[in-house]
Amino acid sequence: MKILIIEDEQALYESILAYFTGEGNICELATDFVTASEKIALYHYDCILLDLGLPDGEGLELLTRLKSMNKKDGVLIISARHSLDDRLAGLDLGADDYLVKPFHLSELKARVSAIVRRKNFEGTNLIIFDEIKVDVAAMKTTVNEHPVVLTKKEFDLLVYFLSNKNKVVTKNAMAEHLWGDEMDLSNDFDFIYTHVKNLKKKLSEAGSKDHLRSVYGIGYKFSSQ
Amino acid sequence: MKLSTRYNRVNIITSIIVLIITGIIYYLVIHLILTNKLDKDLAVEENEIRQYTHTYKKLPLPATYLDQQISYSSPKGDTTDVREFSYTTYLNPKEKEQEPGRSLVTTVNLNGKTIVVTITKSRVESEDLVRIILLITLGITMLLLFSLLLINRFVLNRLWKPFYVVLNRMKAFEVTRMDNIKEEPTRIDEFNELNKSVNAMAEKVKQDYKELKSFTDNASHEMMTPLAVINSKLDSLLQTESFTEQQGALLEDIYQATGRLSRLHQSLLLLAKIENNLISDTEEIDLKEMIEAKIRQFQELFGRDGLNVEIKLSERKVTMSRYLADILLNNLFSNAVRHNINDGRISLELTSEKLTISNTGKTLNIHNRMFDRFSKSTESEGMGLGLAISKQICNLYGFNIEYSHIENMHFFSIYLG
Repeated sequence: MKILIIEDEQALYESILAYFTGEGNICELATDFVTASEKIALYHYDCILLDLGLPDGEGLELLTRLKSMNKKDGVLIISARHSLDDRLAGLDLGADDYLVKPFHLSELKARVSAIVRRKNFEGTNLIIFDEIKVDVAAMKTTVNEHPVVLTKKEFDLLVYFLSNKNKVVTKNAMAEHLWGDEMDLSNDFDFIYTHVKNLKKKLSEAGSKDHLRSVYGIGYKFSSQ
Repeated sequence: MKLSTRYNRVNIITSIIVLIITGIIYYLVIHLILTNKLDKDLAVEENEIRQYTHTYKKLPLPATYLDQQISYSSPKGDTTDVREFSYTTYLNPKEKEQEPGRSLVTTVNLNGKTIVVTITKSRVESEDLVRIILLITLGITMLLLFSLLLINRFVLNRLWKPFYVVLNRMKAFEVTRMDNIKEEPTRIDEFNELNKSVNAMAEKVKQDYKELKSFTDNASHEMMTPLAVINSKLDSLLQTESFTEQQGALLEDIYQATGRLSRLHQSLLLLAKIENNLISDTEEIDLKEMIEAKIRQFQELFGRDGLNVEIKLSERKVTMSRYLADILLNNLFSNAVRHNINDGRISLELTSEKLTISNTGKTLNIHNRMFDRFSKSTESEGMGLGLAISKQICNLYGFNIEYSHIENMHFFSIYLG
């Protein structure tokens, strides 16, 4: 997928670029309002990561321009402002999602993937990974065409892993993704362990290879081998 | 005590004392003057009798003139040359009644004989005069006091009106609302000055508050960015993947701390936002429905700790921000789970007037600081902000949140206004 990152904080966009590049993704970068609006006007992107606090312009203005050009690019707002008004304003202006800083790169990736899937497959919304096939819209999983029955949390977890394949996903990020950060389940990762264990078991029972690997106790990695 | 009451009291007491003293002095002086005048009249009469006796060698008739009696008597004993004034009574022959009088007892020499002459004059007229003067004085005194009261009541009240208006405005002044204290037009210099000072002060307070707020905003924003960088760099670092077990453990600790820091930061921001009333998207919320959804969300947690949940909900709708309602319920639910014991109990009760969440748990020693920021039991994993936030949310909507405990049951009740 083709992604435009509009972000002025160097350390941050470097990390995002590093995380997103590869696996057939093309990432472009705009660090200011002018460059960003030029790129938006000239090219089409599957998803635009938009930081609202740009040094030379209001990020929301870019959204308005995008809409006035009638473009169908997906937009994910990333902002340090944890403000409901901003969130609503952004979503009203046609943004697809809103992520508050600080965020986990895996969460960002999962959200971007979700937006891109929604935009590109218009309803079918399929993720295919080796022998695993996930229909996100219908919430159905099959391994080698055999259906696997997963709970809601296990399913969410699988989609999260698939969006972040070949990456180490931390338990922190997984917990926040599954329960939301407001539940404040800090230091309480027994759940994650249980869910991962169940997911692994169900997948392998259905004949899948063992894709999930625990990494140093910090998190998990979902990969082909 | 009100200033005007105090002033009135002092004023009236002083006036009464001064008037009483003046009245007494006035009475005495007039009395003295009139007595002097009577005495002079008596002396004139005495003189006339002397001259008469001297000229005609006989006593004038002991006649009774208007308000005047003259009588003669022979001296008792060895009296020579008596002359004294005294207060007596005077028998008014016309009206046949006793009247106060003034008499002069003196002697005349008639053919070598000493005769005592008593001249008595009625004092009734002068007494009347004194009485009238006294009454007039009293009347004036009363009138004066009455008008003083009236002045105090109406004029003073009106004079002080600008002061009370300014006072009320100051009371109603809320720094978060950013409205001005309007000037109360008045022609009195002191109040004009008060107006000016109050407005200047309000202006200064607002300015300081604004600066503080923008400082908080900026600080939190500036803090978010490095936090976001740390987070993303950690995520990136993790992908490089060639760590020893030890490095992994270190990374894990850093992750925990960063997560904690960003949660802490978000909680503080949220608190500041609620305090400054920056969350204004109120809507009607079906509390029962929301609690039921929350129970489903927490089902997994209840199951893990083997908690027995009792639910008794009746219909209740409240008007508040959905976002804040969600946070409030989250905090209370998390608390009830986190501070519970294995195989404990949680009971949820929603009636039209209150929502009570109670749970079994250890006995705590922070009862009275329950809703304070950063107060938490030693074994608590939280940050100690959850209940402070809950309280702020309740305050915002005029709800009253209370904590009580009976042995090992902890109760949090929210009285929905």
